[in-house]
Amino acid sequence: MTLKSIIWHELRSRPASVICNSLAILLGVAALVAIRHVTVHSEQEISQQLADLGANILILPKDTTLQDYYAADQNGATLPEEYVAEIYLAGLTGVEQISPRLNIEADLGDLAVTLTGILPQSDLKAQSAWQTTMLFSAPKEHEGCQQAHINDSADLVAPESLVLNRAIQNLDPHELILGADIAERTSYAVGDKAVIAGEEFTILGLLPPTGTVDDSRVFAHLHTVQELAGNGPVCNAIEVIGCCEDAAGDLVPALRDLLPEAKVVTIAQIVNTQVGVNQLMANTSWFILGVLIVVGGLSLATAIAANVRERRREIGTLMALGATPRFVQSLFLGKAIVLGLCAGTVGCMIGIVTAIVAGPAWAGVTVSVLPATAGLSILIATLVAIASAWWPSRQAARLDPCTCFQEV
Amino acid sequence: MMRLENVLKQYSRRGHTVDAFRCDALTIGDGEYIAIVGPSGSGKSTCLSLLGGMLSPTQGRVCLNDISIYDQTVPVRSALRSQWMGFVFQTFNLVPYLSALQNVQVPLALLKRPAAEQVDRATALLERFGLADRLHHRPAELSVGQQQRVALARTLVNDPRIILADEPTGNLDPESRELVLSALDSAHREGRSIVMVTHDPLVASRATRRLTLREGRVIDADVSAAPIKHRQSA
Repeated sequence: MTLKSIIWHELRSRPASVICNSLAILLGVAALVAIRHVTVHSEQEISQQLADLGANILILPKDTTLQDYYAADQNGATLPEEYVAEIYLAGLTGVEQISPRLNIEADLGDLAVTLTGILPQSDLKAQSAWQTTMLFSAPKEHEGCQQAHINDSADLVAPESLVLNRAIQNLDPHELILGADIAERTSYAVGDKAVIAGEEFTILGLLPPTGTVDDSRVFAHLHTVQELAGNGPVCNAIEVIGCCEDAAGDLVPALRDLLPEAKVVTIAQIVNTQVGVNQLMANTSWFILGVLIVVGGLSLATAIAANVRERRREIGTLMALGATPRFVQSLFLGKAIVLGLCAGTVGCMIGIVTAIVAGPAWAGVTVSVLPATAGLSILIATLVAIASAWWPSRQAARLDPCTCFQEV
Repeated sequence: MMRLENVLKQYSRRGHTVDAFRCDALTIGDGEYIAIVGPSGSGKSTCLSLLGGMLSPTQGRVCLNDISIYDQTVPVRSALRSQWMGFVFQTFNLVPYLSALQNVQVPLALLKRPAAEQVDRATALLERFGLADRLHHRPAELSVGQQQRVALARTLVNDPRIILADEPTGNLDPESRELVLSALDSAHREGRSIVMVTHDPLVASRATRRLTLREGRVIDADVSAAPIKHRQSA
């Protein structure tokens, strides 16, 4: 029999009380851990997007609102394809690539898919050739640009360049490129024939997984998709890739002047919405931390104080048997530590599971366990429990054993 | 062994001060068996608490082996209780969530004795009190008499030199009462000092000395012949 075993037996004798006493801390930790996990992974996702697409600019219909760069062309509204030529003809400094996109819904066999029309770089060059002789053959470079050019045709030959460079060199009107999810679900191989929207296509390539909406898309030539859509030469978005972020900064005002009827946004502006959501979630996590400390702490302090009151006779008996005030205080502080640790651990586990399950739905991110966050939340729960039990346990240690027997 | 010198305990209630217990001199020798009797409110329990180091006197000294216990710190008083004293309560005061065995182990746990020693000594005492088949029962699963026997085992487990008993038979049936009194007699024969508060003249007659209290004062300190006879016959 030790102090620990006395605490353990007391806790075991009142399981319902243990759960009720630690519920506020448990829920607080669960909410804190879930929100922190989602927020941290969302921030990492944004950082990755910024790193991957830092110099990219999107040209969209004026009224478009968007929160996801990769889904920016799924807005339904359209732009004239001639904007592409206007950008060419303007000869803006730092333009690396121009990639218009048009989406329609179509059936690939029995599977409903998003068919995305893209314009291969070879067609862009052909367009520029009859419109002007100055573009692409002698692109204007940005002086501060340190990033290697990626519109070299050798880099864009393989279908995978659609993932790596968001452009492809060649794509015939009746060729398809399948996103990773579609490829997996349909089991098509390169060279297979596939019927989509009533027309037969040849599978040119299968894209590797990207973790974006591109995984569930089928890519075809822009002009083919325009014919299937029947809305003329339009696109949902035009992606302009700058040679570096400095160039992108100068390009945006130039493009706005050039295309006043369109919305010109950078990746930073697009992720700004998600940054705002993340900030809100970060603030919420601080609020939850406050709730955990105040409500959880008060709840546990009240429970421990009530426990001291109802165990006055036991405290008096232990003191009569020779228990020191320190022993009596340790009895209640120890109980609080166990409650804090258990509530923190269980709350942490619930929070992690919630984040893993709900993370993709809440913020479109895949969540993995953050050991530091988990450990810190358990530590906070334990410290809150100790702090909240300090005063009632001190009162217990100061009890007069004689009054313990008289008043009960 | 224990000595009260000019002890006064006063309680203040609603601006009035009440002398709960006053004693100019009282000595409890080694192996004495003292019964404290008197009507309710006469200061019996106050006297017992003062002797037990649980209630500081308003004035005077309470000495255990010439150590003034109220001049010591609270932890030292706790240690003195743990090493020298054993308490028997009228309502047993067993810890409800611990088994009989664990309840008896508690005083040894407070002395930080090894677990094996705790179990061995507690088991031996419970077997001595006829509770070998109730070791792992909780107090709520024991009869009143069994609970008091567990409480007695708890009192004796740390081998105290003085036993302070507050109405130890107050809640018991005749059979259990006799068992408890026999245990106290046995402890007395082993050389322990016993101070017992009781209302019952028959119970008091088992003691070697009787202190009668009235309105907080010792009005009679009788060395009874009967208990001596009882002791001799035991």
